[in-house]
Amino acid sequence: MTARMIMKLRVASARPTTPEVLHLCLVHPQRPELPAWTPGAHVDLRLPDGRVRQYSLCGDPADRTRYEIAVKREEAGRGGSAWAHRNLLPGAVAHVSAPRNNFPLVDAAREHILIGGGIGVTPLVAMARQLAAQGRSFVLHDCAPSPARAPLLDELRAICGERLRGWFSAGGRRFDPAAIGPPRDGAHVYACGPQRLLDAVRASLGAAGWPDAQVHSEVFQATLDENFKPEPFDARIASTGAVLHVPADRSLLQVLREHGLATASSCELGVCGTCTCGYRDGVVIHRDVVLPVASRQDRMTPCVSRARVGVTLDL
Amino acid sequence: MSPEASLEAGPAMLEAFAHPAGSAAVPVPGGATAWSGTLLHIHIAPAASYEMEELQEATCVAGRGIAGDRYFSGTGTYSPKPDVREVTLIEQEALDALARNDPPLQGGPITLSPVDHRRNLTVRGVPLNHLVGRRFRVGSVILRGGRLNFPCKYLEELLGLPVYLPLYNRSGLNCSIERGGVIRPGDAIHLLDGHAD
Repeated sequence: MTARMIMKLRVASARPTTPEVLHLCLVHPQRPELPAWTPGAHVDLRLPDGRVRQYSLCGDPADRTRYEIAVKREEAGRGGSAWAHRNLLPGAVAHVSAPRNNFPLVDAAREHILIGGGIGVTPLVAMARQLAAQGRSFVLHDCAPSPARAPLLDELRAICGERLRGWFSAGGRRFDPAAIGPPRDGAHVYACGPQRLLDAVRASLGAAGWPDAQVHSEVFQATLDENFKPEPFDARIASTGAVLHVPADRSLLQVLREHGLATASSCELGVCGTCTCGYRDGVVIHRDVVLPVASRQDRMTPCVSRARVGVTLDL
Repeated sequence: MSPEASLEAGPAMLEAFAHPAGSAAVPVPGGATAWSGTLLHIHIAPAASYEMEELQEATCVAGRGIAGDRYFSGTGTYSPKPDVREVTLIEQEALDALARNDPPLQGGPITLSPVDHRRNLTVRGVPLNHLVGRRFRVGSVILRGGRLNFPCKYLEELLGLPVYLPLYNRSGLNCSIERGGVIRPGDAIHLLDGHAD
């Protein structure tokens, strides 16, 4: 995890891009340039009550004067998007972190296949901008209920031209990941959207023989596994030998915090990767969606992940 | 107001001369005396990780810090740890050295501007490394040098600049406030002798 500066940015413009999605431009009131970012990056938006929400940057990475995000009003959500729609009007101040990228483009790739579902298209808009500017080979599949409900569709048409494939279910056109075809050297797939779309893409590409390393995805909502029953366990702190008991109804992160082992955290949903820490032994039940498989043998995400019986943490 | 009395109102803060470094330095003679300096900039941040904001005037509160700063409010990264953090200072001369890549400890010159170094006061002409265990005046406010500041990896991460090594031994001074008051850029800075003013 890395610390990121939090800035008080000014909302320069706020306009609906669909009936439920607000497109915001944010500028720094003093500095001419914001911290640099690369396509796929997100920023944290801090709400007045201390909660944090992640939004992908959808503007032009070459334009350092502003950040653009798109916020979908989630009626069934946790309240962050409704707050943003009510309060982030032109002139308002938004507390926003410097960007972080958990979903980068693969520089060496020769062909990029971008698949976005609904609001999940936002990081792909930035990716498409850069790929188009660099004259690289890409196609963007945009899945939405209808053109009117496809966020940033006008921008995408202007950026992608012929390389945009719209899949609008109201028109009877549903995206079938099988259309991506067989795996090819140097081709990388990037998917962002609802879990069911990501699952379908992964299943289809896996069956077609695509290596995992060529398929990238990002979700901003942790996997809901309703059948998961948390069990208590003990966490041993390697540096001190202290053993902390983690009851079934508390997260490892909460227990670490109570004992002054304050580790920075953000989403507390297992999606942002802020609170990850190393562990030495023990059977860890990984419940996050951020750590790559290769990292899971010695790193865990204490906001959602747990252990069977016990684990020794590198703290 | 004594530092002890006002401590109850705010977060855990160590008085400068109660810190092991400060208390060891008080009886040891030495240090530059024939200097006078100037306060160039005042910066505070409302909470941990927030960008610093420049002030044209700031209120120093004995035993607490600078009104509005994260260490005054107890919302700083290191607030849970009792320490000397009421006011932190850094020399403009150290920033100038980084800007000319001197010594050449990193790839090239580093521009560390006053809004970015995360110390409260940027000063010129003040030998901060000589002021542990000493009292000095900034305008009408009296500060006590408690310990040398040292660079942290956190700052490096926050800025995305390799400042850790180049700031070593010129990272500034952590002070407590003996006598509070209002300070402004341009205020003169002078050494005070002994314990009585």
